[in-house]
Amino acid sequence: MVLLFALALVALSPLLPSFDLGLRLPFLKDISISLTSLFGAVLALVLAIGQVNGEVDRRTIYNILSKPVSRLQFILGKYLGVLATLFMILLVMALEIIVLIYIRVKVFAPSIFLGVFAVFLEAAVIAAFCILFSSFTTVPLGVFATIFFYLLCHVKTGYLHQKMVTGAHGAWRVLAWPVYYLIPNLEDFNVSLQLGYGGGVSTAFILKLVGYSVLWSAILVGIAVLVFSRRDL
Amino acid sequence: MEGRSAAIELESIRKTYRSGSRRRRRAAVEDVSLTVEPSQIFGLLGPNGAGKTTTLKVLLGLIRPDGGQGRVLGGPLGDRKARMKLGFLPEQPYFYGFLTAEKALDLYGRFFGLGTDERKKRSEELLDLVGLARGSHLALDRYSKGMLQRFGIAQALVNDPELVILDEPSSGLDPVGQKELRDILLGLKADGKTLFLSSHQLSEVEQICDTVCIVSGGRTVREGALSGMLAVAGYSTVTVSAREGPGFDALKKVAQNIDIDGDRAVVTVPTDRVYEVIDLARGAGLELISVTPGHRSLEDLFIEAVKEDRG
Repeated sequence: MVLLFALALVALSPLLPSFDLGLRLPFLKDISISLTSLFGAVLALVLAIGQVNGEVDRRTIYNILSKPVSRLQFILGKYLGVLATLFMILLVMALEIIVLIYIRVKVFAPSIFLGVFAVFLEAAVIAAFCILFSSFTTVPLGVFATIFFYLLCHVKTGYLHQKMVTGAHGAWRVLAWPVYYLIPNLEDFNVSLQLGYGGGVSTAFILKLVGYSVLWSAILVGIAVLVFSRRDL
Repeated sequence: MEGRSAAIELESIRKTYRSGSRRRRRAAVEDVSLTVEPSQIFGLLGPNGAGKTTTLKVLLGLIRPDGGQGRVLGGPLGDRKARMKLGFLPEQPYFYGFLTAEKALDLYGRFFGLGTDERKKRSEELLDLVGLARGSHLALDRYSKGMLQRFGIAQALVNDPELVILDEPSSGLDPVGQKELRDILLGLKADGKTLFLSSHQLSEVEQICDTVCIVSGGRTVREGALSGMLAVAGYSTVTVSAREGPGFDALKKVAQNIDIDGDRAVVTVPTDRVYEVIDLARGAGLELISVTPGHRSLEDLFIEAVKEDRG
């Protein structure tokens, strides 16, 4: 995956328009973080979606849960393992981007680390969702649900807000309003524009993203533990 | 051993599953009750689909019963503290193929909180015990079925458990391996451990088990000490040399049954007439070879129990 990402960057690089430096650098930052965001989501899906049901299907889970390992420890261990892998891969991707930007425009852009960190925080939420579905259903259904979840969470502030809040009336508004606020807003983690063309992102904003990611990941992993605890193996 | 509570107690365990297109409830286990005393080898037998594996999974907390109650090593079913003192070999075990035997045992040892030195020591001892010391550096996905089964036995013992639960432990083992397994199990029993095994190998169960429970159709149909269940009440067999003559004819009048096997005759008689038969044999100049209490095979018992259950 890391190699594929690096190859994608190298292949796309000559296709980038020839801007002046003032425009080229922001453009490079924007597109590289956007590309990383997509890769990050796919990576989270690939790493996490088969974690629990894969062990059940392969029957390796019996050797684990027959030992003094609780279901909570199992789910949490799987999730933290996915997070650690995601972190390492995204770190390497960030380094690749920084190197590529330096080669193209001779500028060292450490703000890329912030952008990729935001991608990691989003991927953590996606991975938590995948772990939840992995704890009770099959891989194909989990993949479909995750793609739907990803799209839903990225259109929340636009399309969904209009349909479920501002444009909703009567009984539909009563039903839709609480559901709207139960959907995480993954668009918040998209900081490519701020880092590319804006003034960057503040520490307070990053801390808010961290808190948001931790909250939603904890909720989804917590539900996964509850569901898995009741499952017969 | 006196005063120790039972290692396993199950009372009226029931487990149903939804299956089929109409999702009807089907009982995998309807009414299984059994008691396993400490330091004995207990055999769980039953035809395919009788509920043996479901019963094992209930013991380990992998599934929750719909009814009944049970205790394992003094704790409720699935209790984590009990699992610290328990070892399990699943049927046809699957492991992480990318790990070597050493690394896999190290991983499983960590789950029990064993220290680094202790894990290393246990790993070496167990791999030597099951005959895998030379293959310990190979990844598990390169192991044969028999090697995986041996490794499975090793990982079931990594924590030096009080209770070892084994599902089809002889599966995949050649005759030498089966003999080595029996020796291992008997050695564990001599060390005071309790063993609970589910097996289709009746000869293996007959050789090593102290107590058996036969389940059929999800219910316990027989349970008890093996020797008592196999004894044929009231009859014994006297084996003598076979030589036609008046003395041998006298034996025929007393015997329930006589089977001639080459130069030997196996005489089945009521137990209270054994000495009469011995005196008749000696008087006829026949060689007395052996006297054995009446005994039937576990296979006969198993088939009889299952047939009775099925009506």
